[in-house]
Amino acid sequence: MSDQPLRSPATSRVTPLTDTAATDYEVALESLNQWQLAWRRFRRHRLALVGVGILGVMVFLAIFGPIIWPYDPLALRRDLPGPQGFNPLQMPPFGSDGSGRSVFVLVANGARLSMLIGTTTMLIAVTIGVLIGAIAGFFGGWIDNLLMRFVDLVLSIPFLFIVLVAARFFGAGELVPLILIFGLLSWPSLARLVRALYLSLREQEFVLAARAVGVGDLRIALRHILPNAIGPIVVSATLIVANAIILEAFVSYLNFGLKAQDISWGNALARSQERIAVGNWWWPFFPGMAIALTVIAINFLGDGLRDALDPRSKE
Amino acid sequence: MTTYIVRRLIGLLPLFFGAIVISFLLMRAAPGGPQAALAGIKSITQEDREKWLRRWCLQAEVTPVNMVKEFGGWLGVLNCDSDTIPEIFFSAQGGLNVLPTALGGGDNGILHGDLGLSIRAGRPVVDVIMERVPATLLLTSTALVLWVGIAILIGTYAAVRRYSLFDQAMTFFAYVFYSLPTFWLGLMLIFIFAVFLRTSGVTDFFPTGGIITTRDWPPFNTAEYWAAFGQRPLAALVDVGRHLVLPVFTLVAVNIAGDSRFVRAAMIEALNQDYVRTAKAKGLPSRTVIAKHAFRNAMLPVVTNVALELPFLVSGAIVTETIFTWPGLGRLFIESVNASDYFVLMGLLLVSTIFILIANLLADVVYAIVDPRIRYD
Repeated sequence: MSDQPLRSPATSRVTPLTDTAATDYEVALESLNQWQLAWRRFRRHRLALVGVGILGVMVFLAIFGPIIWPYDPLALRRDLPGPQGFNPLQMPPFGSDGSGRSVFVLVANGARLSMLIGTTTMLIAVTIGVLIGAIAGFFGGWIDNLLMRFVDLVLSIPFLFIVLVAARFFGAGELVPLILIFGLLSWPSLARLVRALYLSLREQEFVLAARAVGVGDLRIALRHILPNAIGPIVVSATLIVANAIILEAFVSYLNFGLKAQDISWGNALARSQERIAVGNWWWPFFPGMAIALTVIAINFLGDGLRDALDPRSKE
Repeated sequence: MTTYIVRRLIGLLPLFFGAIVISFLLMRAAPGGPQAALAGIKSITQEDREKWLRRWCLQAEVTPVNMVKEFGGWLGVLNCDSDTIPEIFFSAQGGLNVLPTALGGGDNGILHGDLGLSIRAGRPVVDVIMERVPATLLLTSTALVLWVGIAILIGTYAAVRRYSLFDQAMTFFAYVFYSLPTFWLGLMLIFIFAVFLRTSGVTDFFPTGGIITTRDWPPFNTAEYWAAFGQRPLAALVDVGRHLVLPVFTLVAVNIAGDSRFVRAAMIEALNQDYVRTAKAKGLPSRTVIAKHAFRNAMLPVVTNVALELPFLVSGAIVTETIFTWPGLGRLFIESVNASDYFVLMGLLLVSTIFILIANLLADVVYAIVDPRIRYD
């Protein structure tokens, strides 16, 4: 389909049959399910495609970068020309940091941990957020009240303060505690969204119909309501990934994150401020660009998904 | 309206209580705790140390009962000069310890305005926090006012000229700046202004660290500083203003993106309303339609959104303050985490939690005031 020229939706979906005379007034409908329609809308969102392209490069870098460019990110070059390290011309492509590590190798290796943290944080946050939001919205009543007051409570704690304190006191530079801290604090707004979706969807006719034929609560919540709520959830999930990548960079930049030998994008440019005064701009520049490009790409992707997965959006 | 505000305030109390319990538990679960930190200071006598431990009800062992005691001491409900059950609730003056000091209550705990002792500075937490407040408020309020103002201008203009070159350029910049980590933008600014422009002799007008030029002025917010300020107010304002430019620019650039998109969406929504079409149809000049009919209605959600952004004033500039060595609350927070200065951390958490809760309440109240269709009774 992708090599066909872009046609108006009406012509691409409805093809007149002209092979037999008897059916010349009939049309064959090319039936498209929800996902095919969404994919069609998504393909038309140019920025989203750009986002997918950038993300593809970043994922490629994360998986194959350290294989193609097999240098130890912690390896130091001793013959530094000065405190600013090698500039990008002396040590292509991205120069070196203040102690002689290649910035490109740092970026290529950092992609792995940054993306791992982004996606696992999202998985934890989505699991908790959807579970709590769905239970609250589906059952309503005192359960809803209780869970939503809990959400209010978590949202009234200053987020960055608590992340930094927890990362300092319980993170200990390890990956798993850090991901848990991020994930356990990132779900409340998603829970509110899912609750609102469930509250409105459970009153729809198709739920009534399912009830009438005797479908149980669990099956209605999972098989009938969840697929209809999936669009906004997926969009929020992409934003959680982007936020977690930036959050990790913040926390690592402030030296509250991973230990120095675990390279993430945030860790790659931690302590780079010391060398800015002597002219080393490339050390913070390239890892920061990697973060910014990835986050922009994820935001583009999220925008495209929002349009594509909204069943009411026009073709 | 008053009943509504009072009811909401009462509703906030359990949230507030829950939030400080969580903050407290987090701090107490941290390794060492304030006891270890207190024991680490060599300069205080054993006698003083025990006095402080009793004042804040700090216990030797971590047990559930002891945690409750410590929390009660931090709140100011308990008086740990005595350990037996009825006496622990009463102050030395004989009244219930929880009462205000003037009514016979104690003088310890946050209820009596005592946030504890900064272990790092050796001074009361209230003083340590209060002396950092002016610098932070100066930075964050300048940034907030600027970015909200500019976001309203950009968002409105982009909505009126929808899909114009201006609108598309602004959408692009919103995406870019929204995705930039604050600290990275700060680092790049430092390079441009502290290194590139200075070494190439263009300008060294914008300093990249601190709030004042330290060789010309006494330390900020001390009595000597304000004396010097009184002598040369104009020079002092220019000096602080120069230091403000880069951190404010960083905060504005990063935060303007989201808000300008919000204003744009609100304005487009308003422009699509029936009353706007009616106003156009009866021949009002488009300027009037935009300014009087659409803009005023578009501002309703924007005002609420700004109210929800108010916690930024206290806790919004942690990273920016760290990068530009701005002597405010954010840097105090980072320094205190690094030094495990528990009472300061709990004090800062308390202050910013209060700000978040008040901002939420304010957002609802302001919305009810500016929008006559909303009535809470």
